[in-house]
Amino acid sequence: MMDSIAGLQLGFANALTLGNLGWALLGCFLGTAIGVLPGIGPALTIALLLPITFKVEATGAFILFCGVFYGAMYGGSTTSILLNTPGESGSIITALEGAKMARNGRAGPALATAAIGSFVAGTIGTLGISFLGPVVVDLALKLGPAEYFSLMLLCFVTVSAVLGGSALRGLTSLFFGLLLGLVGIDLQTGQPRMTLGVPELLDGVNVVLVAVALFAVGETLYMAWRHTNAAPSVRQVGSIMMTRQDWKRSIGPWFRGSLLGFPFGVMPAGGTEMPTMLSYYAERKLVKPEHAKEFGTTGAIEGVAGPEAANNAAAAGILVPMLTLGLPTSATAAIMLSAFQSYGINPGPLLFEQQGALVWTLIASLYIANIMLVVLNLPLVGLWARILKIPQPQLYAGILVFATIGTYGISNSVTDLVLLYVIGIIGMFMRRFDFPTAPVVIGMILGPMAEQAMRQALTISEGDWTTFLTRPVSLAILILALVALVGPRLYGRLVNRAP
Amino acid sequence: MTRRRHLLAAAGLLAVTGQTQAQPRLPSLYMFIPAGPGGGWDGLGRAIEQVARQAGLVGSFQFENVGGAGGSVGLPRFVSQRRGRPDALMVTGSIMVGATLTNKTPVGMKDLTPVARMTEEAGVVVVPASSDIKDIKGLFEALKANPGGTSIAGGSAGGTDHITLGLILKALGRSAKEGSYVAFAGGGPAQAAILGAQVKAGISGYSEFAEQIKSGRMRALATTGEQRLDPSIPTLKESGVDVVMTNWRGVFAPPGIRPDARDKLVALMTEIHALPAWTEMLKTREWADAFLTGDAFSAFLAQDVTQTEAVLKEIGLA
Amino acid sequence: MTRRGTGPDLAVGAFVLLLGALALWQTSVIPASPIYAQVGPKAVPYGVSAGLFVLGAGLVASALRGGWSHTLEEVQEAPPTNWRSLGLLLAGLAANLVLIGPLGFSVAASAQFVLVAAAFGSRHLLRDLVLALVLTLLVWFLFVELLGVNIGAGVLEGLVLRALGQEVM
Repeated sequence: MMDSIAGLQLGFANALTLGNLGWALLGCFLGTAIGVLPGIGPALTIALLLPITFKVEATGAFILFCGVFYGAMYGGSTTSILLNTPGESGSIITALEGAKMARNGRAGPALATAAIGSFVAGTIGTLGISFLGPVVVDLALKLGPAEYFSLMLLCFVTVSAVLGGSALRGLTSLFFGLLLGLVGIDLQTGQPRMTLGVPELLDGVNVVLVAVALFAVGETLYMAWRHTNAAPSVRQVGSIMMTRQDWKRSIGPWFRGSLLGFPFGVMPAGGTEMPTMLSYYAERKLVKPEHAKEFGTTGAIEGVAGPEAANNAAAAGILVPMLTLGLPTSATAAIMLSAFQSYGINPGPLLFEQQGALVWTLIASLYIANIMLVVLNLPLVGLWARILKIPQPQLYAGILVFATIGTYGISNSVTDLVLLYVIGIIGMFMRRFDFPTAPVVIGMILGPMAEQAMRQALTISEGDWTTFLTRPVSLAILILALVALVGPRLYGRLVNRAP
Repeated sequence: MTRRRHLLAAAGLLAVTGQTQAQPRLPSLYMFIPAGPGGGWDGLGRAIEQVARQAGLVGSFQFENVGGAGGSVGLPRFVSQRRGRPDALMVTGSIMVGATLTNKTPVGMKDLTPVARMTEEAGVVVVPASSDIKDIKGLFEALKANPGGTSIAGGSAGGTDHITLGLILKALGRSAKEGSYVAFAGGGPAQAAILGAQVKAGISGYSEFAEQIKSGRMRALATTGEQRLDPSIPTLKESGVDVVMTNWRGVFAPPGIRPDARDKLVALMTEIHALPAWTEMLKTREWADAFLTGDAFSAFLAQDVTQTEAVLKEIGLA
Repeated sequence: MTRRGTGPDLAVGAFVLLLGALALWQTSVIPASPIYAQVGPKAVPYGVSAGLFVLGAGLVASALRGGWSHTLEEVQEAPPTNWRSLGLLLAGLAANLVLIGPLGFSVAASAQFVLVAAAFGSRHLLRDLVLALVLTLLVWFLFVELLGVNIGAGVLEGLVLRALGQEVM
């Protein structure tokens, strides 16, 4: 504890130089910009910036990278909310309620609660890195594939929150997502699956591409299908500021989301997606009855505040195994590790001892980036929200061009564009026939993770299925999943029966 | 196509002034990376750029990254689009050998013109610090007695780590398919599974585990190279199992180029390899030098393909 | 119950059954893996195929009982299909696909922009074109300069670079 405080003092002293603040600012700006674009995440941006490690000293480079990393998390939510095009997989869930709020003239508060939620989560996450890091990591290492499989089953429960009016149609969407998730080379055996012989499909279908296709391209196609020449109703931008009530409704989700997100980030196979789903589910169940109707209709602010905080806290958590053990548990962390290596620094369990000054400077710069980002982003909320004032023809045209840039820009693959448009057309029909699109994305994210974890666990246990029940943590999570699944129904029945 | 330029490179104030003195051997060089930015092949390509540009050997570099399926997506594109061009190189390595066999790509390594092998990294076999397996003999015995119960973590199925396990099992008189191999996506989750003793042992590139070994959280049993990497860790070969398997990386020219064009590229790489800046680069990156050109490289490649194919056949991937 | 909604809903059910069949076919061509693994690469794909069949059958049954979509408020109130808009939009997507390879990102995306804007009733084609060119060239320029990523340079980008006096490869 005392070591941490001394370390932070040293870190802040190093980070608060003019040059380093400049790197942080540049990183935040770049990160926000690329976070806005679908398909281009922080991992890729940092990878592209790697050559600067030949020219810039380590501290400056890592401050820049951290700025990009946190900035992308802020930026990712902006397009999710305004245009329904999530910039990265962690903000897909944010789009569910966020885009509905924007459509109903509440873009300002949605953006603001996302930005402040990101700040709260980023700060909690960074505090976690500073003081809890090593302890949490040791706990996280106790989780094996069996526990991860149980966790993923728990997350599958969250699908019930987005199934929509009909279980039949909701489950069909879910299975469509599971099918898309199966495409590609099977990790455990190396066999290609569902690729139709197309080599570009060997690495699978990108989940952000599918989200953009279903949410943005599908929606645009549907709007054209039903387009009337009557003067389109002018979209309300509405009030930019969060009201007192918005604040009150956001605070709980911010903290719950942060506390949920951070541990998932620390887990070596956790990631940012699962906690956003769980947070969305939790907020939907915990919402005050008078606001429950807003979920899935006009957009509930809790459904933006919680998942967005979970996303950012998880992103911060991902840095913990990287800094304390040298474990790259996400693409971004892997790239940062290779940046360490190009300085001849080997991140590992001894990093804090051997490179203390660098690590603490990096952590200090995370606090700084976080403050810079909220200061940069809050005034921008008004400006961003004004995007919705763009006339409908140009707005839709712009959305499609953005979707194209994100998809084609990096992969240079026409196959990806064809996929984007074909899934977009499916999305249009899903809208017409009242199939919810969110379960597709949830199935796509959870399906492959759950399948691999299950098969890893079974290979380890030599095929003994009871491994999921005999490992105590796994059992506890399974019980929790069961409670989450049948609990609300039982509770509802009890309440109904009571006079 | 445009040359890759960087904001930061353009912002000259940060750039180390490149002192170009000699007439460049090649005015420009097209570098094809069949993987996304940030990986091992990309890193080697950029390192070559860095050293060659500073020494003024090559005027300008143009990079193209086409990632996917261990290079299976990029390779056919390079072969068809650059055929016969004397100023193009592709960075690739042992991972592509396996990937082209597994994915049954229409073109393979044999369609390329080998130029030079540049680096290699030996693998290492580890157990968690808490394991009862104390040395490599102990692991061999466990594998011989009960391969199914000896779960071993590594990278994706059919990759270098998996092939190493397959070769060990074959050398022990077992079949590659009997191994209880648990594939993880990426080094982090695999390391976590070993550190948390979820699996009995693990195989991966030495650099991935080096820090865990140094800190005592993992115990290194053997390395997979020809010689010892660390004086205190034996190789598989000296432990009685005749297996040498490294993750090598090198550069290849497109098919159909004239012999003199190939010789020019070999000469260029030989010159780069001889530069002190290259030695320095190998040292900071902790890459092992594995420079090999000409017929020796071709012979090595042929042997690598045969060996890999044999294991992949047994595990049903080739 | 009107019979109006049955036809389209039946088609949706059939489509899901078709997806199930596709999944089943693709699963059957996965080679059996001899690797020591308790659950092979085919188990989950078979499960997903089966699920799609069951759900597809459920949707068909629901359609035969009169369908669901005609009862939806949104469908009842929906204006008739606007073939012109939908056609223009699909043309925009197709134009992008066809042009992006040979002519580069800016031309393809601009063509898409103009067609999509027209689909939604924009009458200022020239203004849209100028807007699109400025927007796409700006984005392309930022990409190339800031990140060093080449996002499909083509004819227009080459002209810009030449104008800036840079070497074009």
